[in-house]
Amino acid sequence: MAMNEDKGTAAGAKLSGADAMNDARLRAARKRLEESRDQEDAIEGLREIAATFLGSEEIGLFRVDGDAASFEVIGSFGIDPGEYNLLHVIDKQGLERLMRGECHIEFGTRDRLGAADKAQAFIPIRRANQTMAILAVLRLLPQKIAFDKSDMELFKLLSDEAALPLFGGSGHSKTEIDESGIRA
Amino acid sequence: MTKKILVVDDSKTALMMEREILEKRTSYQCVTACDGQEAVEKAQLERPDLVLMDVVMPRMNGFEACKIMRQQVGTRETPIVLVTTRGEESYIEAGFQSGCNDYITKPVDGAELVALVESYLGK
Repeated sequence: MAMNEDKGTAAGAKLSGADAMNDARLRAARKRLEESRDQEDAIEGLREIAATFLGSEEIGLFRVDGDAASFEVIGSFGIDPGEYNLLHVIDKQGLERLMRGECHIEFGTRDRLGAADKAQAFIPIRRANQTMAILAVLRLLPQKIAFDKSDMELFKLLSDEAALPLFGGSGHSKTEIDESGIRA
Repeated sequence: MTKKILVVDDSKTALMMEREILEKRTSYQCVTACDGQEAVEKAQLERPDLVLMDVVMPRMNGFEACKIMRQQVGTRETPIVLVTTRGEESYIEAGFQSGCNDYITKPVDGAELVALVESYLGK
């Protein structure tokens, strides 16, 4: 069933219902990030986005230190940040991908109904070609079967646009980074 | 006359998303509240044709707000749809016990939301 996104416009008419819904989702996520008052509110925005759009109530946000050798938890929800070590759950290749700006997604194993167990996603929060933080989406609610194509678009938006509301104009400058982004 | 939906959620993101979908994809007007207490007050003031309400909220949760709305003359018959991350049977049962008409789980599917609302209010 095709529905108009912008009622009465040809461009809107070309959008499928699913595309229009996905656009609405991306617009709402972008607006929420843009309207964040400070870092705390931006982290709350990420929590809301994960719960509302991704179907996850377990997230962690980790600031990357200057050389990506350690990660500082700057926000979490539904996990014990003291017990969670990013370096224990992502291998070196995965970290290299994140430092290059690629998402690291584990789709999990599927049961006979198609639901993914242990699906998780790690999203690099980027600015000026640097990964400043990693958002870990750690578990999906039972009714969310798996990550899908529209989730990938949301990951890209978060990767590209979450740094400014989270870190403002400051952030950090990286030093001594090798080509892969990870110091040996 | 334009039909009115009261959208209630403590998540600004959920409010933005639901409002965006309902106002762009239907002809209904939306008003919002950010917790159960405000929802009860706005429901009396605005007399919505339908209430779309989150469950887990500060000050007053969706179950409590639903029970109060069912006791008040102006909202006794108003359709109430609860929206939540919790999909367990016992939770859904508690929702119906509180007087809701329907129940949908997050993440909300936009098309499903529109279809559900239209099933109560017409197109």
